[in-house]
Amino acid sequence: MANPNGRLHLWAFLQGIGFYPGGWRDADATPAAVFDRAYYERVARTAEAGCFDAIVFGDQLQGRDAAGRTPGRLAIPTLDPFTLLSVMAGATTHIGLVATVSTTFNEPAEVAAKFAALDHLSGGRAGWNIVTTAHVNAALNFGETELLDKTLRYERAQAFLDATDVFWRSACDGKSEALKNAWFDFAGKLAMPCPPQGRPLIVQAGQSPDGRAFAAGSAEAIFCAAPTIEAGRDYRNDMRARITAAGRDPDLVKIMPGLAFILGSTDEEARTTQARMHEFADDALCIEYLSESIGYDLTVHNPDAPIPIEEIVATCEFPPADIRKMMAPAVESGRSLKDFCRDYAGKPRGHGIFVGTPEQFADHMETWIDAEACDGFTLQPAFMPLELDVFCAEVVPILQQRGLLRQAYQGSQLRNHLGMAA
Amino acid sequence: MLLSACIDLSSGDAAALAAELAEIDAIGLDFLLLGHDSDGVVVPAGIEALVTMPWVLGIVRNAVVVGVLPALHSLPFHVARALSAIDILSKGRSGWMPTCANAPRFDTAYGASYAVPAGEAVVKYDDFIGATQALWDSWDGDALVLDKASGVYLDSTKVRRVHYEGPYFSTVGPLNAARPKLGYPLLFREPAAEIVGSTVSADVVIITAGSIEDARAQISTASVAPYRPAILLRTPVDTLAAILAIAQAVGADGIHLTGNLDAQAIAAARALVPATVFRTGDCWRSRIGVPRPVNPFSKAA
Repeated sequence: MANPNGRLHLWAFLQGIGFYPGGWRDADATPAAVFDRAYYERVARTAEAGCFDAIVFGDQLQGRDAAGRTPGRLAIPTLDPFTLLSVMAGATTHIGLVATVSTTFNEPAEVAAKFAALDHLSGGRAGWNIVTTAHVNAALNFGETELLDKTLRYERAQAFLDATDVFWRSACDGKSEALKNAWFDFAGKLAMPCPPQGRPLIVQAGQSPDGRAFAAGSAEAIFCAAPTIEAGRDYRNDMRARITAAGRDPDLVKIMPGLAFILGSTDEEARTTQARMHEFADDALCIEYLSESIGYDLTVHNPDAPIPIEEIVATCEFPPADIRKMMAPAVESGRSLKDFCRDYAGKPRGHGIFVGTPEQFADHMETWIDAEACDGFTLQPAFMPLELDVFCAEVVPILQQRGLLRQAYQGSQLRNHLGMAA
Repeated sequence: MLLSACIDLSSGDAAALAAELAEIDAIGLDFLLLGHDSDGVVVPAGIEALVTMPWVLGIVRNAVVVGVLPALHSLPFHVARALSAIDILSKGRSGWMPTCANAPRFDTAYGASYAVPAGEAVVKYDDFIGATQALWDSWDGDALVLDKASGVYLDSTKVRRVHYEGPYFSTVGPLNAARPKLGYPLLFREPAAEIVGSTVSADVVIITAGSIEDARAQISTASVAPYRPAILLRTPVDTLAAILAIAQAVGADGIHLTGNLDAQAIAAARALVPATVFRTGDCWRSRIGVPRPVNPFSKAA
């Protein structure tokens, strides 16, 4: 019997103006609207009409500057994710609302209270994408000068989640519980509403061994970067084995690789749009884009000269060894700074990019699901809001016709959409 | 006269709360504080204010919505960016009320390390507000350009690190959020014992006074340089007429209602407290007569 919830899960990753750093310059893009409440209400309703499981916003705890200079040509998402999701909660009734929140520079009492509020106001639709923070500028914003190493960050993440669970439990059963672990020590509860879901859906986005171990023990949905079907299958198999080893049912954890997309009524039209996205990313933008990614202001260098690798690694804000490794092939081949920056900006964030027609896109997703390479996708429109509108109008009906995507929500809470008991 | 009241949305389902808020908004309330009155003091609500504010602002389309926050337990970076988004999306209808009231309840949940020694609360209070405001200064109000033709999204010279250093907080910036529409959201305060000697200027001060002399004395204390805040007199509904008379006699700006209020009670109060007619197009700072904060980093300053 067909599963009324569908066998393909869709999440909408709606960061700012979309996936491409120059996409805000498209004639159909609306960069000023990104600062309007009505924009968020509208796109939330669009995604809900498209039967997406959830909307997710990423997050960072630092400005976008490299060595103090904030890029001037990149569309920077500047609005706080909790705020946007709270706006969306008021404009929708079913779609899940997932906030990315770091366990590194936060307090469990505050984070627990924020998710309790979002879950309460949305009637049980909150999710928490748990991340840890490794950016040195983020530490400086919280009065810290040293970053925790990766293993310690994940130890803290687990201790943090344990602490937030204490607050949610006590909010629901009324009993005060003390907690003392290596990171936190508190005597009792804080008043907050009992979240309708008990706790928000727990989501994780880790690729490293520490991240995977944490996700295996706690996550109910997992984001990953899987540029090919083989990479997706390998990741999913690895995670399912880890989840089983952790004593949990792997069918209750959804693996949701990121996938950007550009649609056209013909293949050629979609490719023309992609070429336009690349054109918008001019040399100056690409140089800023890489500057931000490595924490070094490249705009002071000659764009036509070879990559000034020694100057970069001497003062960059990210680990110099990683940056040297990333740039090594281009440095050896003598590629110019601007050409390297263009290569880099052409493939944002290591996710897959689909370019084609609605029919082809549905085929693409179906192939991945049939191959058990994922449980669905975290979709990133190339630019907003048009690509999301086109997806919902033209791809969603095909997916529904094929029985891949639900025709209607089967419950009002986020866990219902993932096929779990609320 | 301005009319202000608290509401705590921590119980009841969302649809019922939304209906209640819509009714309150229609009455013509000026300030809605997300908090509650406890023994004559405004304390944080049972539901986290910063996440609740954007939802409330979708229903309350006229009033300024004010988040009552624990001043000794919140982190400036998180507060600054949340209020930036809230203020921008509400087009300048946000306020905040950091308070030291009820601190022991928060100490219990945040851990003993948060407990502040006696007499030190005001130092941390000022530092918390100072660090948060410094982060708002990391952007000029006109930093965003958004010119598709030239490809200029923002002016890099109008976003900077601020290197704030205080006794409790230090933060480098810039904030990953633009400057609020109001410059800073309206800062609300009650002159509690813990924060006597605060050097931060508030925009709205709620006082408790039983006589004209008492009210005059408190207004003069609250009106230290560089400007006089809007003054609200606190009263429960049953003494409203008497306190309103005092407020009018001393030239106060409005009334803050206390007690367990529903839309009906607020409507009854509004009938007694004459609404101020604002000039169209005035922002809330102009409406209540407090200056727009000057950004010390801005070249135009």
